[in-house]
Amino acid sequence: MLKTPLSRRNFMQRSTAFAAAVAAGAKFTTTPAHAAREKELNILCWEGYNSAQVLDPFRQDKGATVKAESLTNDPTMVNRLRAGETKIWDLINVNNPWARKIMAPEGLIKPLDRATFEPYFDKMMPAFKAPYKWAMDEKGEQLIGMAQRFGPYCFVVNTDKVSRKAAEDQGWNLWNDPANDKKYGVLESDDWNVFNICCIAGFDPFKVHNDDEVAKFTETAKRVFKGAKVVGDIATMNQSLVSGEIDFHLTGGTYSASPARADGAANIRGITPNSGPMEGGKGGIVWIEITSPVNNPELSPLAVEFLKYVQDPKVAHTVAFAEGTFNPVAQMGNKECFDLFTKEELDAIQWDSLEEEVARSVEYDIVPDYDKLLDIMTAAKKEASAG
Amino acid sequence: MAAPHETGKGLSQGARNALPLILFMIIGFAAPLLAVIAYSFMPPRSFGLTHAPTLDNYADIFTSNSYISFGWSMLFAALTVALLALICYPIAYGMARLFGRWSPILTLLFTIPLFVSENVRLYGWILFLIKNGVLLGTLKSWFGIEPESILFTPGVVLLGMVYVYLPFMLFPMTLGVSMVPNETREAARDLGASRWQVFREVELPLSMPGIMIGLLLTFVLAVGAIAEAKVLGGQTIIPITHDIEIAFTYAQNWPLGAALAVLLMIVVGTLVMLVLKRFDLDAILGKR
Repeated sequence: MLKTPLSRRNFMQRSTAFAAAVAAGAKFTTTPAHAAREKELNILCWEGYNSAQVLDPFRQDKGATVKAESLTNDPTMVNRLRAGETKIWDLINVNNPWARKIMAPEGLIKPLDRATFEPYFDKMMPAFKAPYKWAMDEKGEQLIGMAQRFGPYCFVVNTDKVSRKAAEDQGWNLWNDPANDKKYGVLESDDWNVFNICCIAGFDPFKVHNDDEVAKFTETAKRVFKGAKVVGDIATMNQSLVSGEIDFHLTGGTYSASPARADGAANIRGITPNSGPMEGGKGGIVWIEITSPVNNPELSPLAVEFLKYVQDPKVAHTVAFAEGTFNPVAQMGNKECFDLFTKEELDAIQWDSLEEEVARSVEYDIVPDYDKLLDIMTAAKKEASAG
Repeated sequence: MAAPHETGKGLSQGARNALPLILFMIIGFAAPLLAVIAYSFMPPRSFGLTHAPTLDNYADIFTSNSYISFGWSMLFAALTVALLALICYPIAYGMARLFGRWSPILTLLFTIPLFVSENVRLYGWILFLIKNGVLLGTLKSWFGIEPESILFTPGVVLLGMVYVYLPFMLFPMTLGVSMVPNETREAARDLGASRWQVFREVELPLSMPGIMIGLLLTFVLAVGAIAEAKVLGGQTIIPITHDIEIAFTYAQNWPLGAALAVLLMIVVGTLVMLVLKRFDLDAILGKR
């Protein structure tokens, strides 16, 4: 759904733009292609960037029509570009591996000017210093996007039922304990559930899996879904945790728990296991969003302007606390930005443990045999529903 | 039959007048349907209609456990229809014949929920049924009893479906019952029929058009239900519509989703045709 809130102000702007277009008449058709899109920007993104808090000041400042469509999984967004929508979108905001490993090699996105944008990375948190791996192409030559929101994403517990320490120590084995059957939920986030079921089964998700691992994955997926009390969206998970229907849920972290925490439920907490099957014995996975200019033949000049705009400390703070979910942003490395966060906001995004959670995590990556594992997991879900 | 306004230059006036509507139906109804059918014959996980056709998606469906989802959808639709028939007939009878001036108020009460989005109403049920929610929280604080939560069970999915589709059964049924002329009942009683005979041999057959429309409408809607199982059921059951949604989203397998949708249309279409063959709606409605 295209979200373009119509305020009196932007109604007037659009009316003026429309009147100007009519007045321009035939001239409009002979104007160079890029000029036709000088006041238009289309963004394909995760929720937050499509909020009025983020977009309205930019619309007012540029007198532009900005459309943003929000989706909640990366493959769908990337496939939209693959299906020919590069002609529509100017910016795409997806998680880290997609820009570097998929979209850049497939020619779906365009590079940015390093001299203009790398100074912004120097103001970010230390881990994001230029050249930042996930913002660069595979050769490390071209800057292909900008970083902003990130967060560890494993599972969430109600600390009144399972202490933070016990959850961190037990880690993914919480789902290997039959005593926990019907005490947990599973967030309907199927791509991440594939990663997490690999972790529960005891192997790294981000590699090609052998037959034994696929068999273990199949058995684990069946068991996890059979033992789940509820599978649902973020609101259902948080509500079920707060009410006591469930004690913990699979796939979650700052991103999903922060709305409940911001609402006062400090006992709802994203957990990053102390150890796990990933490289170096790490137990967690962290996502980092990268926003890239789309390889649109008529790319709007506002795409680059918008990427600069969201680096502003105040706008970065707004992005962190835009509607929906609340997340840390790389720009918190800049004191000017960090000082804008209240104590309550820092609590909501679990700032107290963020650094150590990121240190215990590997960065989100592509699962080479994702399609096969997803089909197995979908079948396991159905089998669990048959009782 | 000769067309009264034949022009002799091809299309009749009637056909020409109908042309915009025919074009609208082709573009708005037939074209998307044909696209879905065409996609179902494309190779798995492809995104265009230019590949060589294949039956792979159908083969996948018949070798996978999709029958579970088909089974859940059919079972829950059938149960919903059966329960609604039992619940709605007495209400319809009352609204058509007994409640008098209260009938419009009842109609309004049954209609008002339709103005609120289905998802919002279902989340309302969650707040009502959830542990420490309106129902269980009240029982706990007032009476000190703590029954197990029934949320996220198949029974609640059925409750949600009965609740959501009730108006779609009730209103056609009320129309059907009100179509029965009172004189036919009186004549039957005068001729010595018992109350049961009047119901079975007069009221039921004569109100059948409304009942049939209610049954069919509710079944077709219920077989396409998804929100009740997702929201209230917590996905303890996966209906076929949810399977289709997964294929089109996370799995990025549009051809598989299209093949599932085509099969669902065939199954539902066949069932509806079988019913319509047995109960000729045109005949019952007195058109021929």
